[in-house]
Amino acid sequence: MSVTPDPVTAGAAARAQVRLRVVIAEDTVLLREGLRRVLTDAGLDVAGTAGDADQLLQLVEALRPDVVLADIRMPPTQTTEGLQAALEIRRRWPGTAVIVLSQHVETEHLFELLATDPRGIGYVLKERVADIAQFTGAIRRVAAGESVIDPEVVSRLVARPRRDSPLQTLTERELAVLALMAEGRSNQAIAGQLHMSPKTVETHVGSLFAKLGLLPAAEDHRRVLAVLTYLRR
Amino acid sequence: MSRRLLAALIAGAAAAVGCFVWSSWPPPSRYAPIEISFAVVGLSYMVAGIAAWQRWPASRLGLLFSIVGYLYLVPYILINLHNPVAFTIGYLTETPLYFAALAHLGLAWPSGRLRSRFECGVVIADYAQLVVFSVAGTLFWNPAFSGCNARCPANVLLIGDGSRPAWNTLGTIGEYVGLVISGIVLTLIVLHWRSARGWSRRAMVPLLWIAPAVAAETVLTGGLGGLFNFSDLVRYALLPLVLLAGPAVFVISTVRARTAGGALGTAIVDLEPGASPTRLREALARALGDSTLQLAFRQPDGAGYLDTSGQAVEVVRPDPGRAVVPVAGSDGAVLVYDEGLRLEPQLVKLTAAAASMALEHSRLQAEVQAQLEQVRASRARIVEAGDAERRRLERDLHDGAQQRLVTLSLALGMARDRAAGADPELGLLIESAGKEAREALTELRELARGIHPAVLTETGLAGAVQALAERSPVATTITAVPDGRFPAAIEATAYFVVSEALANVAKHARAGGAQVTIQSRPGRLVVEVSDDGAGGARAERGSGLRGLADRVASAGGVLRVDSPPGCGTRLEADIPCP
Repeated sequence: MSVTPDPVTAGAAARAQVRLRVVIAEDTVLLREGLRRVLTDAGLDVAGTAGDADQLLQLVEALRPDVVLADIRMPPTQTTEGLQAALEIRRRWPGTAVIVLSQHVETEHLFELLATDPRGIGYVLKERVADIAQFTGAIRRVAAGESVIDPEVVSRLVARPRRDSPLQTLTERELAVLALMAEGRSNQAIAGQLHMSPKTVETHVGSLFAKLGLLPAAEDHRRVLAVLTYLRR
Repeated sequence: MSRRLLAALIAGAAAAVGCFVWSSWPPPSRYAPIEISFAVVGLSYMVAGIAAWQRWPASRLGLLFSIVGYLYLVPYILINLHNPVAFTIGYLTETPLYFAALAHLGLAWPSGRLRSRFECGVVIADYAQLVVFSVAGTLFWNPAFSGCNARCPANVLLIGDGSRPAWNTLGTIGEYVGLVISGIVLTLIVLHWRSARGWSRRAMVPLLWIAPAVAAETVLTGGLGGLFNFSDLVRYALLPLVLLAGPAVFVISTVRARTAGGALGTAIVDLEPGASPTRLREALARALGDSTLQLAFRQPDGAGYLDTSGQAVEVVRPDPGRAVVPVAGSDGAVLVYDEGLRLEPQLVKLTAAAASMALEHSRLQAEVQAQLEQVRASRARIVEAGDAERRRLERDLHDGAQQRLVTLSLALGMARDRAAGADPELGLLIESAGKEAREALTELRELARGIHPAVLTETGLAGAVQALAERSPVATTITAVPDGRFPAAIEATAYFVVSEALANVAKHARAGGAQVTIQSRPGRLVVEVSDDGAGGARAERGSGLRGLADRVASAGGVLRVDSPPGCGTRLEADIPCP
């Protein structure tokens, strides 16, 4: 599975001619500057860059960007400064979308992030920056209030061996839909990606929710959390 | 004791008994039991005398026992010689003198020495009054008064025909004086018992029991026996057997010393390894039968000696009634014991040797313990150093190679986007280079995670174990895992246990599912991983389990593997946790 720009939100942003204002926090200078360049080239407004968490918080306070891009590991302790800063930003400026860049596939940090409010949250493996189109697409989706969960994280959760789990009763199609839901996709995006009609996607969603015993969730971000929590059990 | 003295004593005893038998042979059947009784009692004191002399050559107890024996038998031999002089001397010494010797023996027990001038006086007075009254009585005693007519030899000391009233009066006064002195002696013995402690007190106990009986015997076989209507058989054959209690006390004391020797050995064998000096002292005191035994150690600052209860102990000039023996091989330990034990130098030596052995054992034990402690600590340090090194490696990979590869990927991505329009072939080339870079990143990520799971340091056990369960190829459920943080070494060990156990389940168990439970209990962390697979796992076989056991042991914990063939495997690591 791959992250493709969501046609709906990308289109909407393009139509609105909004230049998203982005702040980048990354301690490796080369990467930071590379990111600034590709994002600017992709039509985003890189309002500022930070080399550590304190700097990032100051920048966010000063610039109030639409999206914050933060490496999880940053100086001084090189552990989870970026994650802590992201949580802080969500607490203090709830409207700010945040994508954390991780080098782990572990779900612990992801759930820490989602626990606050999955809207406008992204958890993406750092290497995704190589696919510039996908990556900018992810930024736009998060800015539009969607959740973006790295497909590798989701696929690991979906592929986990299980015993006596209702997951085993899902059809291949339903599983694919489930995975895309877990990545934070809307029904419309899933339909586009799986080449189905939105109606079919809805049917699949309804049936797999029933099979898993989950309450149907109207909003996509609630759906993400419900599905991920289910998968992580 | 010299052989010659021993030979003389044995010869003396044999001669005395021989003479006794010869002088009274053939015994009239009426008197046979009486004479046998006399011979047995006299001989028992003689034998006890020889044995006591043998056992305590420096003590007078052997001599005293012998004296009692001779004083008991010889008068009867003399009387039976049918010679007037011998008969008179025999009569003079007949009943009374061994009383004084018995009193002397009782007062000198158990050391053989009289304790004070007063007691010396009492003993001398006892001997003196017996001699005085018996000589005075003999002056007035006509053998006919005692019913022996022409058969008896003459009393050579008799004045005239004698005087029955004078003889009777003197006899009665003598009885009463003897009674008073017996009372004094008994009182003194009770006082000895009360003031004695430890070994000496134990030695006094049997004497305390028999002293009244012996005193009663001496009174009853003497003149006052007439107050009761005893038959001659009872009075002269059965009652004297009470005197056997004297040698019996000696036998008891000997048996006790022997038993104590054995008990010391047992006590040391039974003493738990590394027992405290207090326990050692208790064991020795109990085995020895000296409750006052003290085990004292020289204080390092030269401030004298302290015993195991923290009391200062005078070692150079011990308190009265106490004696000191050094414990060989120990650094300035001494035993302070009841002086009465001086009579048993072997026992004292044995006790000191036992103490020395036990202390040495404790010292070695402590040394081994200390070394073990050091080895444990160094093992834990080695493991921790290894962990730290792995953390550093992982961080270096993350901050170095991984970041550079990400940057490279980004650059390749940019290059590809630029090239795609102008030169599609170049675009494809760059695309494949980017793919290589991404694969390298994935591999590097897995490598770094294998070296050290960052999520463990960052979020603790719960997140790290969750990650293990998520990536395990066998369906794994986590039933419990504490949310809190633990010391890094403990988290690392617990993580390692779960990780290795799940790897084993995947590799060997052919299991359908596995279960991980981590529970934080007071003072420890219990990690349990079980599966429903083939079982039959053994620590000796796979180096995995062996390594795991080592790892758990390095944290001071224990790994238990329960893996009956066909019934799954249950692995439990019990890790101490402050």
